[in-house]
Amino acid sequence: MKRKYAVAAIATAAALVLAGCSSTGGDAASTESAKGQDITLWLMGGDTPDTLRDYLKTEYKKATGGTLKIEEQGWGDAVAKLTTALPDAANTPDVTEIGNTWSPTFTNAGAFTDLSDMYDELGGDKLLKSFVEVGEVDGKQYALPYYFGSRYNFYRKDIWSAAGKTVPTTLAEFDETVKSLKTDTQSGFYIGGSDWRNGISWIFANGGDLAKKDGDKWVGTLASDETVKGLTEFQSLFEGASLAPATEFDSTPWVNINNNEATGVPEAATIIAPGWAHWSIGDLAPDPKDATKTVATWNDDTFGTFVLPGVDGGAAPVFAGGSNIAVSAASKNQAGAKELMKIIFSEDYQTLLGENGLGPANLDYASALGDDQFAKALVESAAGSKLTPAAPGWAAVEGAGILEEFFGKVSAGGDVKALATEYDEKLDKLLN
Amino acid sequence: MTATLTRDAPAAAPKPPAQRPRRRLSVPHLLLIPAIVILLVGMGYPLIWQIVTSMQEFGIKQQFGQPAPFVGLANYFSLATDPTMWEVVVRSIAFCFITAAVTLVVGLLLAVLMTAVGTVVRLILQISLLLAWAMPVVAAMTVWIWLFDRRRGVVNYLLDMIPGVDMNRFSWLSTPITFFIVASVIVIWMSVPFVAFSVYAGLTQVSEEVLEAAQLDGANGVKRLRYIIMPMIRPVIMIVLLLQLIWDLRVFTQITMLQDAGSKSSEYDLLGTYIYKLGAGSQDFGMASAVSIFVLALTLAISWFYVRSLLKEDEQS
Repeated sequence: MKRKYAVAAIATAAALVLAGCSSTGGDAASTESAKGQDITLWLMGGDTPDTLRDYLKTEYKKATGGTLKIEEQGWGDAVAKLTTALPDAANTPDVTEIGNTWSPTFTNAGAFTDLSDMYDELGGDKLLKSFVEVGEVDGKQYALPYYFGSRYNFYRKDIWSAAGKTVPTTLAEFDETVKSLKTDTQSGFYIGGSDWRNGISWIFANGGDLAKKDGDKWVGTLASDETVKGLTEFQSLFEGASLAPATEFDSTPWVNINNNEATGVPEAATIIAPGWAHWSIGDLAPDPKDATKTVATWNDDTFGTFVLPGVDGGAAPVFAGGSNIAVSAASKNQAGAKELMKIIFSEDYQTLLGENGLGPANLDYASALGDDQFAKALVESAAGSKLTPAAPGWAAVEGAGILEEFFGKVSAGGDVKALATEYDEKLDKLLN
Repeated sequence: MTATLTRDAPAAAPKPPAQRPRRRLSVPHLLLIPAIVILLVGMGYPLIWQIVTSMQEFGIKQQFGQPAPFVGLANYFSLATDPTMWEVVVRSIAFCFITAAVTLVVGLLLAVLMTAVGTVVRLILQISLLLAWAMPVVAAMTVWIWLFDRRRGVVNYLLDMIPGVDMNRFSWLSTPITFFIVASVIVIWMSVPFVAFSVYAGLTQVSEEVLEAAQLDGANGVKRLRYIIMPMIRPVIMIVLLLQLIWDLRVFTQITMLQDAGSKSSEYDLLGTYIYKLGAGSQDFGMASAVSIFVLALTLAISWFYVRSLLKEDEQS
């Protein structure tokens, strides 16, 4: 612990000393001054496939002659790592991917370089608007969209049709159907009780929100009527349809919809998951490369997809997952970093993102996603998707795990209104 | 070594009064400087930084270079009035005392066992203990989490085989009590080897003659353990207990990994994870520092019994 603080202390000291130098050199982002700059890019988790990483390295070398080093950071402790590394000119990544919902926190703290002079060049109005907005302060763009994904349902056609169920058209019908599919050994709808990123869809669908801006201050709105209604619906859904523990949070629900290796039957009839989960869903067979693992092959006869329906039909507003990307203000290689941004927002790279199932930041290239059922579900669910509040303290809310705790208590059968009031207070302390 | 030399040297040497006020630094003094500098830089600087930060409002904006306003003891006051903080403190103290006590008892029994069994059995015992001690925490934790897995864990599988016990899919990490039982078992497993070896080392120093004399005087096994062996190895037990208490109070890795597998709710926090969540998680470094200083004070308070007994022994001798 002490060491961690020491690092933080040194980082802060360095930031104070270097604050003067770091603001210079940003304006002339010409290819000329980027010549030979070796830069570092932080990517979160394994979401960006290797082919895309190789593309970036090759293109960066071609454009500047410098070397691009890509370092992968785990999602779990990324906020902590960014907090300590970004202010420190000696250790900061030059360009970093960040969870879209953390953008307000870091942009408001002044962690990133103002990119408004090259915003139009990088795509301008064609970039995914909600993601641009979370990265804006006073009309200036600091963090731009990197890719988007969104969540939709995967279901077992065999189980649903055996029970005579069809794809629901309203949220109430969905709740009712999956509840009827629950047995002692099978969840009708497998969702962890603390999985708020999926659970908020029920809040959003009922017109509720997690927090809103009141004047110039952010306040929690968990206890608002709409939010409480959504939470109550979620509570009844969890109790009636899921066998997951109330404390389970960011899980891997797709293991439950595949046939269990031991029993030969699935543990869940339905799940909700980010679109790329479809690579892990299907008939399991031993991996020819590694006998200890299995590979899943999608089977259209057994598995299907549908978008979570809204209260009055259509698509429910689900959580808009995805990432933003930004240039560290403390980076000494501003020109090189901006050169990399140009490569990332190029038509070629945006198309590559789409072809790999990641929603491209520039919506002009969304067609690269293809037109299979996964692409259609992704686009349809993304259309109505919503982000978490753009409050300056949002990353702190996520970092402290407050929403996991709150959803866990609701799922465990707690009094929704009382819990909501209690957790609104906790949110208020961190949001601003 | 250098410290003893400098202290003992003048006492042993005859004292020529003319030479007394020596201004020149002696070689031993010079040799001490690097150690002191390393101590000051390595321990002193973070400590002072922590004390200063605990009296500031230090959030993410300050981390990115904005000046940190001095708030005096405000962080400490808001901690003192925060019920969550006190829940965590009570839980941590209970956890550390229970875990340390059980560790000590198990370690003691194993040490006594080692003196009682033959060489081969003792070697097997020592090697297994050594392996448990040498196992990297993260690797061990991964296996422990598998053992207690809700669906495929061996623990549930075995318990479920007992007639009348239904432990199928029992979720150990979903209620605070069972969560801390699991945590305690793991921490005990990891610390018992150290206690067992230390106490065993102490036991080998108990002289055979004394024990034989006691036996001749009619003391049975239990009495010999109670009245001869225990008092003789008391210093070892005291220091081992103190170290266990401090380690178990600061336990972090095991709890945080169990939380990753179970729940991140605040009911599952001990002081270590609480500080981490405050600091790295919600970027409130001021409050996190204040809690750290509090933990330091708590550690000193717990160690006090040991310091006092040391002082007493000094008086007696």
